[in-house]
Amino acid sequence: MPQTNMMQCDDYREHIAADPSESFDAGVDHATDCVACSNFRDEIRALDERIAAALSIAVPALHLPEFPSIDTAGPGSIVDLHTRRPTSRLRLPAWIGIAATLAAVGFLATRLLAPELVAPSIADQVIAHMDYEQSSRQVTSVAVPEQALGRVIDDNVATMETGRELVSYAMSCVINGKTVPHLVIQGANGPVTLILMAEEQIDSAIPLSGSNVHGIIVPVGSGSIAIIGERPGQLDEIDEIAKRLVETVTWKT
Amino acid sequence: MNSSRVDLARKRRFDEVVGIFHKDLYRYAAWLSRDPGIAEVVVQETLMRAWKSLDTLREDEAARQWLLTIVRRENARYFERKSPDMLDIDELTPAQSAMLAEADDPDLEEMRQAIMRLENDYREPLVLQVLMGYSTKEIAELMGINPGAVLTRLHRARLRLKKSIDEATAA
Repeated sequence: MPQTNMMQCDDYREHIAADPSESFDAGVDHATDCVACSNFRDEIRALDERIAAALSIAVPALHLPEFPSIDTAGPGSIVDLHTRRPTSRLRLPAWIGIAATLAAVGFLATRLLAPELVAPSIADQVIAHMDYEQSSRQVTSVAVPEQALGRVIDDNVATMETGRELVSYAMSCVINGKTVPHLVIQGANGPVTLILMAEEQIDSAIPLSGSNVHGIIVPVGSGSIAIIGERPGQLDEIDEIAKRLVETVTWKT
Repeated sequence: MNSSRVDLARKRRFDEVVGIFHKDLYRYAAWLSRDPGIAEVVVQETLMRAWKSLDTLREDEAARQWLLTIVRRENARYFERKSPDMLDIDELTPAQSAMLAEADDPDLEEMRQAIMRLENDYREPLVLQVLMGYSTKEIAELMGINPGAVLTRLHRARLRLKKSIDEATAA
């Protein structure tokens, strides 16, 4: 092989090892003419597939920190973030890991020995989630953007008719270990929460009654939907929404 | 507008522009720090910082670059008083070992060890290019170096990985 061609090969190999997509000028032409470089390119691309697989490590579930209300987060908070010493938190994951392992072992042992003592009911979990996300139930005239609503519902539900009501809140939440769409619509008598649980099959309707919430979980095919309001006067409306959703929701799963 | 409504709107935007990049943030942080425990801390700090300064993000399309920049800064801050370049594969913490071996695949574990052994300067552009799909220009902007330097580092990173894997295979 002539010296000039050798230089071209070196240059090509340097480029292809930096950019296996071969997007650089004259790269494709060179590989077409040079079998050795074409083989080198294939080797690098195979290597890249292994690199990509190796880099794709498992990601733990997202645990959002306790976000401060933005009205109380002044410039001082930013400074605090800068000056916070993270060293004491370095060992946290290890302790959390040990604690989580012990908790998991305890949970499994308890479950095996006395399954009726554990696993809160789906109704309890829905009520607990309602307590956790109280701020979702705002009276508002601002609708969730269509794109955001579609993204939340598309995760679990193929089609759904929310009706004429305005959807003011749409979030993917975790209930009973599964990610489910959590929506709030602005009903005639106040906000109504809808939680679409594609994988929570129930035999019959379950009434929900918490300290500030009232509603029902209705069976829909292989899943169920929780429909919840904050006022006793909303029960008729909840019944009407339930009937409509039972007919219009189609699960993807 | 009262504070809870402000928070609700903010939470919605946060979920739309930040939440979807959680996996990218964690993996970038994990490979920068080479420790999943530290990565979790860095991601938490990043999310907190993003929450507080969400209003400074003018264009949602720029969210990932903005977030990765925060991860990079938080990681650097974490290691301000440390020298993380040296890593003894034989003396890994349990969390680091778990990160290497989680796939239960010897080839994958071998590659992860080789990537962990790379110096930060070589490992970071590789992660950005292969995992994030970043262009040379985007990597250069994020790392604050010129595109030529990015290409040199990427080229060397791959050749080092190839050499490591070839040697391991031969052995």
